[in-house]
Amino acid sequence: MRKGLLATFAASALVLTGCAAGETTPEATSTTSSSNDSTTEVVTGDIRVWVNGGDTPQAARDYLVATFEEQNPGSTLTIEQQDWGGLVEKLTTTMSGNDSPDVVEIGNTWAPGFTSALAFTDLTPHYEDLGGADLLPGFVDVGSYDGAFYAAPYYSGARLVFYSKADYAAAGISVPTTLEEYVSNAEALRAATGNSGVYFPGKDWYNALPYIWENGGDVAVNSGGSWDAQLSSAASLKGLELVKRAMDTSLAAKDGDEAESWVAYCTGKHSMLSAPSWAGGLLVPREDAPCERSADDLGVFALPGMDGGAAQVFAGGSNIAIPKNSSNQELALSALKIMLSPEYQTIMGNNGLVPALTSLGSTLGEGDVPSAVAAAAANAKLTPASPNWADVEAAGILQDLFVKIATGEDIATAAASADEAIEEILNK
Amino acid sequence: MMSRLKSLGPWAMLLPAVAVLAVVIGWPLINLIIMSTQEYGRAQVFGAPAPFVGLDNFAYVLQDDKFWAVFNRSVVFAAVNVFLTMVLGTLTALAMFQMSKGFRYLTQAGLLVAWAMPQLTAVIVWGWMFNTEYGVVNYSLTEFFGLDYLGHSWFAEPLSFFAVATIIITWQSVPFVAFTIYAGLTQIPNEVREAAMLDGASAVQRFRNLTIPYLRPVFAIVITLQIIWDLRVFTQIYALQGLGGLREETSTLGVYIYNVSLGGGDYGMGGAISLIMVVLMSALSFYYVRRTIKEAE
Repeated sequence: MRKGLLATFAASALVLTGCAAGETTPEATSTTSSSNDSTTEVVTGDIRVWVNGGDTPQAARDYLVATFEEQNPGSTLTIEQQDWGGLVEKLTTTMSGNDSPDVVEIGNTWAPGFTSALAFTDLTPHYEDLGGADLLPGFVDVGSYDGAFYAAPYYSGARLVFYSKADYAAAGISVPTTLEEYVSNAEALRAATGNSGVYFPGKDWYNALPYIWENGGDVAVNSGGSWDAQLSSAASLKGLELVKRAMDTSLAAKDGDEAESWVAYCTGKHSMLSAPSWAGGLLVPREDAPCERSADDLGVFALPGMDGGAAQVFAGGSNIAIPKNSSNQELALSALKIMLSPEYQTIMGNNGLVPALTSLGSTLGEGDVPSAVAAAAANAKLTPASPNWADVEAAGILQDLFVKIATGEDIATAAASADEAIEEILNK
Repeated sequence: MMSRLKSLGPWAMLLPAVAVLAVVIGWPLINLIIMSTQEYGRAQVFGAPAPFVGLDNFAYVLQDDKFWAVFNRSVVFAAVNVFLTMVLGTLTALAMFQMSKGFRYLTQAGLLVAWAMPQLTAVIVWGWMFNTEYGVVNYSLTEFFGLDYLGHSWFAEPLSFFAVATIIITWQSVPFVAFTIYAGLTQIPNEVREAAMLDGASAVQRFRNLTIPYLRPVFAIVITLQIIWDLRVFTQIYALQGLGGLREETSTLGVYIYNVSLGGGDYGMGGAISLIMVVLMSALSFYYVRRTIKEAE
């Protein structure tokens, strides 16, 4: 009898633990609205807006909540900030369920992955209302699929190089005019100050792409309907060698990522930092965060290209969309309209983000940062325009490649294996 | 009539539990089986019809080198972790059995804290200790042992990545093993133990000829549970990959399924890998439990 009991216990323990293997994320509790209550005339509800990372400035968030609740009495809007890391996976699970957020921000390079899966509500009828021809054209393209408009531009952010003027003076160098000179500056800074020449963690593939593009290489090209990955081409390899030289001047973790790179810069141990334009305000002492670098010390320039001028940098930025499964479609649209309104986008511009409305370019203001942003944005470039590109990012293939390069593995071998993995996904 | 009712009684009592299990476990499992025979991608998640592809997903997975690399890695990793956990857990239990009351309570409190800590919290705390730039491990090795570990990346090398993962997982698994085996130890009759001591049996002999036979069923269950937990480990590895390391060379089965399904948007393939894993784990555990129970009889 005891043996029998034991066996039963063992068996049930197995069943229970074995099946707990299915990972379920606990859903955030959300109050469902009374939006399907047909007796009320005005639609009310509580909607949730997802914004990613610290990109959206606090002033814009406050404006969104206040304006929305004023325009929609009885409704509330909650902003839920998400981490950029692992977000493709999280968006897929959450938007497919019945507890979908009502407005989501997505990285512009992922947009085709979601629009082609028909994850979003068709915004074509509202195209003119949302800004029409004034919307950033490249972002409208990635947000459209099969002739329909699904994901509106939110903002574009160019990457700029921030540097310490004191360290530049100590090394006796001046602002670089070519990419080669930028890397040799980094080497000189490292030698003169002992600091990172440029802060370059291994997983920071966004900042590594310009080296490839400037040397004539690419991530992948579409030839005759199938994708041909190019990272191991002779031109790309030249770029990767240059990446390696830049990485060798860095004290950053060889397998770290670029999240919160401004915290690292503020330790005073890194002479240059390539970061999104809006990060400028975080590189100086603030009320709530000390910084070893002073505002007077902070210089900025657009990453130079091989032959002078601005380099082709990664055109980072975001789109916003309404998930098809959101249960508050009307209210979500109202929030989306506020986020694309000139008032809201002006706040974005004032904070160093390129506004979604091209007519608001001047809101970036005057000075070093805005002119560097304009120079960088004019020459920005995107990742391969495939619906499967989001999967390449989620698989972390480029992160793995640059970590391998940072840790000193053979560049050609690492690039070849990355090419193979990318082709497998893009041609799936 | 009465006896008939009586014999139905136990079954009636089982019914609610079976119903709950059928809904909570059976339904997802059936869905998983269906999905694994379909081409089920991101478009299908959002409502597109899913074409039936038979066993194509399984055929693809079973000839995929990447899957086998992950598979072998998981098995080796689980084996090392189960072994370490069992040895350390058993030693802790034996030590607790010899301790004075005060020390035992102290040890148990410490074990409970480690066990009660959420997995994610544990990874973040340990991850900070092994942090490249600010970690206390690099600092101590450099400062107190004169080694040059400044800026050393613990996660960049797959082997040292798994060493850190092993520390975290073993650290959190030992308490369960220690408590369970300690509970078992208290059930061995004192007379038997005394008799063995009077006969001059050494500590090792007592452990081999007394403790092991008495605790065989306990060991069977604990080892089986550890195998399952360590084979399907997810949180620790996934969170560590967020802190550093090469994703491709450090994914275990659980993480690989997550990456294929949710990251790569290929739910059909992910479903097929999950089913293979379910079959593998059931086979492994049932074989082990049956064998051990038979031996005990």
